[in-house]
Amino acid sequence: MGRVVLVVRLVLADVRRHKTHAAMLVLAVTAATATLALGLSLYNASQSLYVQTRAATAGPDLVLLAPDTGPASTAALKTLANDPDVVDHNGPYDIVYGTLTARGYSSSVVVHGASPTPGAVDRPLVTAGTWVRRGGAVIERGFATALGVKVGDRVVVSGHTYPVVGIAVTAATSIYPWSAGIGPLGGPSDYTGLLWLTAPEARALAGRDLTITTALDLKLRDPDATEAFRLAHRGLSVRLNLHSWQFIAVQDGHIVQNTQPMLVVGGWLLGFLAVTGVAALAAGRATEQTRRAGLLKAVGATPGLIGVVLLTEYLVLSLLAEAAGLVVARLVEPAIANPTDSRIGHVVGPAGLTLAATTALALAAALLTTLPPTVRALRTATVAALTSTAQYSRHRPWLTSLSSLLPTPLLLGLRLTARRPGRAVLHSCSTAVTLTGLTALLTFYAQPVRGYGIASSLPNGRDVVDRRLLLAVTVLLVVLALVNTIAMTWMTAMEARTSLAITRALGATPGQVSAGLSFAQLLPAVPGAVAGVYVGVVLFAFTSRGPMSMPPRWWLVAAVLATLLATAALTALPARLAARRSVAHTLSAEAA
Amino acid sequence: MNESTPLVRVRGLVKEHGDGESWVRAVDDVDLEVPQGQTVAVMGPSGCGKSTLLHLLGGLERPTSGEIWVAGRRTDGLSERALARLRRRSIGFVFQAFHLVDELTAAENVELPALLAGRSPRAARRRADVLLEQVELADRARHLPSELSGGQRQRVAIARALANEPQVVLADEPTGNLDSAATLDVLRIFADLRATGQTLVVVTHDERVAATADRLISMRDGMFVDDTQLAGTGTGRLGGLVGLEG
Amino acid sequence: MQDAVLAMLAKEPSHGYELRARLRRSLGPFGEPMNPGQIYVTLARLEKAGLVVCERSDAEKPDRKVYAVTPAGQERVAAWLTEVGWPKPDLVEFHLKLVAAAASRLADPVELVAAQRRELLRTLREAQQSALSEPPGSPATALLEGVVLRLQADLRWLDACERGYSRRRDESEDA
Repeated sequence: MGRVVLVVRLVLADVRRHKTHAAMLVLAVTAATATLALGLSLYNASQSLYVQTRAATAGPDLVLLAPDTGPASTAALKTLANDPDVVDHNGPYDIVYGTLTARGYSSSVVVHGASPTPGAVDRPLVTAGTWVRRGGAVIERGFATALGVKVGDRVVVSGHTYPVVGIAVTAATSIYPWSAGIGPLGGPSDYTGLLWLTAPEARALAGRDLTITTALDLKLRDPDATEAFRLAHRGLSVRLNLHSWQFIAVQDGHIVQNTQPMLVVGGWLLGFLAVTGVAALAAGRATEQTRRAGLLKAVGATPGLIGVVLLTEYLVLSLLAEAAGLVVARLVEPAIANPTDSRIGHVVGPAGLTLAATTALALAAALLTTLPPTVRALRTATVAALTSTAQYSRHRPWLTSLSSLLPTPLLLGLRLTARRPGRAVLHSCSTAVTLTGLTALLTFYAQPVRGYGIASSLPNGRDVVDRRLLLAVTVLLVVLALVNTIAMTWMTAMEARTSLAITRALGATPGQVSAGLSFAQLLPAVPGAVAGVYVGVVLFAFTSRGPMSMPPRWWLVAAVLATLLATAALTALPARLAARRSVAHTLSAEAA
Repeated sequence: MNESTPLVRVRGLVKEHGDGESWVRAVDDVDLEVPQGQTVAVMGPSGCGKSTLLHLLGGLERPTSGEIWVAGRRTDGLSERALARLRRRSIGFVFQAFHLVDELTAAENVELPALLAGRSPRAARRRADVLLEQVELADRARHLPSELSGGQRQRVAIARALANEPQVVLADEPTGNLDSAATLDVLRIFADLRATGQTLVVVTHDERVAATADRLISMRDGMFVDDTQLAGTGTGRLGGLVGLEG
Repeated sequence: MQDAVLAMLAKEPSHGYELRARLRRSLGPFGEPMNPGQIYVTLARLEKAGLVVCERSDAEKPDRKVYAVTPAGQERVAAWLTEVGWPKPDLVEFHLKLVAAAASRLADPVELVAAQRRELLRTLREAQQSALSEPPGSPATALLEGVVLRLQADLRWLDACERGYSRRRDESEDA
């Protein structure tokens, strides 16, 4: 029991002393796990939302769509409605294809003729206002959000004006903008929204040369046997389209099709950034950890206990951050899994796979960063550990000669970088990840925007969502990378302060010293940035479906230059602060 | 600047630290003139302010008030940049803790000030070799500080201080971390420097180091309490010390 | 001094002037003020004590005498070499000087210490300069080093005296 108390005390004391390290780790891992969790659970979330909407609206198991309203179609539909496997049905009802204008936007629309009193199958849930009545239209919620239409506004459907009396949600169609099951006369459909009118009014609308089809909703005895039903009823005289609820659910997932890889890859990239940043910090504390291990060994702690002490802090913080990340993911999920607002429902907890992946990420972040210094600490003999001093004394004559040829700031920068090659590599990776994100963003923006067809002036919802999300992930990447850069510069400045004080005593100006510190960060950033662009393009090609158009070259060059400039600017501040410290102070403190 | 102008001149120098309860006057209204070519030793108990005085002379710290003149130039109001340039050209430093750069060889350490002053790497290296020869470490030029003894490290540090031919060398407890034999080596070098006319200000609490100086200043509580000339006074009484009658 | 001369003879019989040269070399600058006749006085005393015997004497020219150690002399040398006594440091006189000055108020003890300190420092300077200018391997270097280190110790003692007396002075001033 005493051992546990000891471990807890040591860990708490250490966290208190290194608050910034702890904060950085928590921030980075939270962002990474939230993104990853979102990405992995997105598909499941969209499916779950569909299922909940279906339950709330008594959604049909099958939707049959006939190409016209002829007697043959109606007869075929009625026959199927009386099939022994069918328990209940709704309709047949009309579907009219038209165009809608509202609030300056125009869009294709399918109008469903509905009964003012819905039956047992397909009861759209009214979320605002009331259901259809004579002279009043009800808009599907996703469509209404895209248009910005509220109850009380007026819409014009193919020349007729209707007041909007309600907004509703249904499970009988795919989400906006795929509300049309099939196109007119059974052909392919455009991007359309859904609107309900009373059946007579829909019919009246159709009377003016607008194409209509007939639809029927079926509820089966066995809701899952939709495929069996379809197979049993092939080869009918009339060409019917059968949409099962499973098919509609899968369609729902398409809206997040692009989002998922964005978030999953983004999550891993963020995790990578977390690892590089915290690994640099942990390496900087390696000497201190070694000394701590030596102390504990000297007072009789077993290697096992020491290992626990050294690892616990980061493991616990990582796992806490993972939990926070999962909470954030849960909060954000509805907005991302239901971007069109067409479904209702609450979010379910993370699935097993998601949990496994995020835990793996958190553990990797903790272990990768603390394992090397911990192993080293445990391996070092006690006496050596107690007197351990930081070792950057690798002499590199070629580098020293090379740097002698350069002006003072570059000389200092090069030598500073060489002291900690590991950190330089980590910084390179960090910059590479930032540029991967930026490149992906720019490449995405360079893709041609597919509109919703001639009839629609609404923006492509999926593209909008995707862009926003990619922007959010990229912003997260950039923020983390910035934090990493500042932290690494500060650490370099702190570790090198004696060396830099000596250089200043020998005649280097504060300006030269702070420029040197900036260069020390810039030098590894350059190859990282270039590599990041290539990786970003490759990743994008790998994860995108279909042909990809490259962004203009100067965009990418600009991104690289902007990142490098930002790095230089960011490092300038801590560098200046470090360079202004009193030389005498630093040197006396060192000697003391 | 003619021969009679002192190389280092200080008027009314004051340095205060801290505030409230921890307020202390490290240097309390000090006046000093060091003519060119003189070796001055400053002695005193620890905490008397002698190291602070040296730091102020070298521009490593800023005075609270007072004037400092080095090589005819007023230095107390200069910017950090200008002070750095001054150190490059006119002042050489030797520290108690040597303060060599661990990952550079002796020669690379010694050439550092020359590189900072903008000299070509070849010229800097040549000068470094000459100086290492002077301190009798030519055979250790390619060694890292970790491979050198304390005395050797301090000799490298002295060579480094001389890299840019400074007008004054400031040494802060140069033998503080050295044993008796290493101290003698350093004393020998200081004696050689004196012979070449180098102006030297040494802060020390080792009487042997003080004894090499021409002039000894005693300091206590930030003030000078004594200022004697040691040079040119033979006692002729050495024999009496060992019980041998003359 | 006598024992040292005897010990030098123990190696082999020598002339007086050889002994003197050897002594001068060993003492370095401290040997300068040595009286040239001193060595012969010492040798005469040793002869009288039966520790040394004169071979081939020539009464008119004393420096032609060759001196050799007797068996008794050998014994004495052996005994002297293994003695572990150490010369007494002579701090008592100065200490009493300070006490007397403080009690009688005839002089300021702090001033006395400062003056003595200056003197010792000058002496230290001389000794050190001599040590540095001795050729390497010279036997006198060790002696000079010893003198320097003792002077250093004495100077430290003077610092302690000065601290004590100036504290006493400050206290009495405050009173």
